[in-house]
Amino acid sequence: MDTQTKTSPSPKRDQALQKIQQLRDMFADAPELGKTALENVLRELTSDASETPPPPVESAGRVGSRLGKVSELTIIVPLAPGGARRLRAFLRLLHGNLKRGGDLVGTLHDMRFVFLDNDTKLLFATSYDGDWDAYIDDFATKIPDYLDIIDSAWDGWPGIRSPGAKDYLAKHQITADGWYVAHPDLTVAEIHRLKRIGKAVDELLEKVG
Amino acid sequence: MLDLHEIQATVLRQRPAPYFGTHVLLRVDDARAGRKFLSRLTPHVDSAAGWWKAANAWLAVGITYSGLEALGVPQDALQSFPEAFRVGMAARARQLGDDGVNDPKNWEPAFGKGEIHIGVSVFSDSEEKRQRALAIARQQYEGFSGVQVLAMQDFGAQPGDRNSLGYKDGIDQPPVEGSGIEPLPGQGRPIKAGEFILGYPGEAGVPLPMPQPDILGRNGTYVGFRKYQSRVGAFNRFLHENASSEQERELLAAKLVGRWRSGAPLTLAPDVDNPALGADPQRNNDFNYANDPRGRQVPLGSHIRRMNPRDTQLTRLSDINLHRLIRRGTTYGPPYAANQLSKEDDDVARGAIFLFISAKAMATMEFLQREWVNDGDFIGANGERDPIIGRQEAGATFTVPKEPVRRRVHGIETFNVLRGGEYFFMPSISALNWLANSGT
Repeated sequence: MDTQTKTSPSPKRDQALQKIQQLRDMFADAPELGKTALENVLRELTSDASETPPPPVESAGRVGSRLGKVSELTIIVPLAPGGARRLRAFLRLLHGNLKRGGDLVGTLHDMRFVFLDNDTKLLFATSYDGDWDAYIDDFATKIPDYLDIIDSAWDGWPGIRSPGAKDYLAKHQITADGWYVAHPDLTVAEIHRLKRIGKAVDELLEKVG
Repeated sequence: MLDLHEIQATVLRQRPAPYFGTHVLLRVDDARAGRKFLSRLTPHVDSAAGWWKAANAWLAVGITYSGLEALGVPQDALQSFPEAFRVGMAARARQLGDDGVNDPKNWEPAFGKGEIHIGVSVFSDSEEKRQRALAIARQQYEGFSGVQVLAMQDFGAQPGDRNSLGYKDGIDQPPVEGSGIEPLPGQGRPIKAGEFILGYPGEAGVPLPMPQPDILGRNGTYVGFRKYQSRVGAFNRFLHENASSEQERELLAAKLVGRWRSGAPLTLAPDVDNPALGADPQRNNDFNYANDPRGRQVPLGSHIRRMNPRDTQLTRLSDINLHRLIRRGTTYGPPYAANQLSKEDDDVARGAIFLFISAKAMATMEFLQREWVNDGDFIGANGERDPIIGRQEAGATFTVPKEPVRRRVHGIETFNVLRGGEYFFMPSISALNWLANSGT
């Protein structure tokens, strides 16, 4: 039986068509250039339909999204009075580069600190390996001071040693609706390993060649 | 100082050598009968006072969340327990990585259904004492229509104090601060008691959250109860396929664990076994990995190096003292033999039931299962799992670092299959009395 030419639509395809229709409805009152762009992109997406679509994002545990081994964390916290001033001065001492702390943790791909709304709020965002809360207890005994310098700028922060720390973070974390990772299968540790192997192979080829 | 008179003996007291015992798993059908049973049993439950000298057999008792419900514990007390404990081990299968062959749907029927309410374990150093202690336990529940035995499992050391895969085990235990005796050489600095017993400061300097009221939580702890079945045939076939002489097989078996079957650590006996070393508690744990950073003696992925990395440089910021469990391994079934190679040998009912004890046993087990057992990223061995207790994917490997190039061993299977598990709360003596007298 040739299933390729079967016309009876699958429930999955029905769902996709429904989503596309909803999208078109929502774009009905969008500016003209938005509408045109949408039609162009929809055409592109449908012509790619023969390829397997990339897997959907998963949950990174309690909050946040994950692709493969890499998760995202975005939090927006209210700042305590004077918090922005203190935290900014600390970040300036490091010339804005968090390499030292980041390297120490070993699971962080990146992090950023952005002050919002006249220094009344802070956006902190990071990409990291694994589950949301696996290592938070370890931070509390290994690098509590780094964390409490940063987090004491936050309004209502209970302290990293407090059993309430995880709840505070979860309360202020916002799960990303869209998320992209170039190499979802590569953890920071694995990247280090591959770099070592690459270097060793290069050295070997130098000797042979 | 610890309230040793309040803490159950099993938290601090190691199993004897040799050891004999029984786990009894009970269901409470009537709250009043359940409480009556507890009040009769409690006088026979040993406290940890003088835990280092065990003359007689002793009893340990644990209660699951559904057990606390069945006993009629008040709602506000029930709600004060952590979520992972309340929903139970089976419901946390995702967080524990208990999937595939280890999936709760493949467990023995007694487990994972909220039917196991109370666990009573008897430990002793002789069969005769075991019988006597078990009879005492039995007297407390027999004749009660509201308390039923769901399952019983005798256990005991195999000849030479070996487990179902032929190893001497249970050697390395975390030292608990304030417990009253000096750590053994190599055990490391004492870990804050609050990591293992509720009501005391933990490593972060503060006590962990504890069930309420205070009398219920204080001096109690949690137990992760896990029943594994050893696939002895598969394990022996693996050794035969990857090593050509008995000597080579023993070395490979030692590389998987990090110790020879005698218990002698590879760090101190890298090339040949040293049974005298293995048998000597003053020496068999007295080592670190300072001279073995790459795992040429003890592979980074070996069982003991995963479960206690000691001074190994890990890829992730980790405080190993936060991820230790006191464990009471109890071997059951017929003894291991190296010539058992058949598929039938895989199905023999034998293995080990572990009691993993910690004031945050649920969180620690989830961490260990996810990070140190069923992953290898923390030691830079992406994708490899613990060769002894890992749940293996098809095509699993084990890396043996050596000069000039590492050896990658294929054909690793799930050698120990999870057959069931439950989380128990192990209350203090006062809490047992409180439970026996409260409720609705």
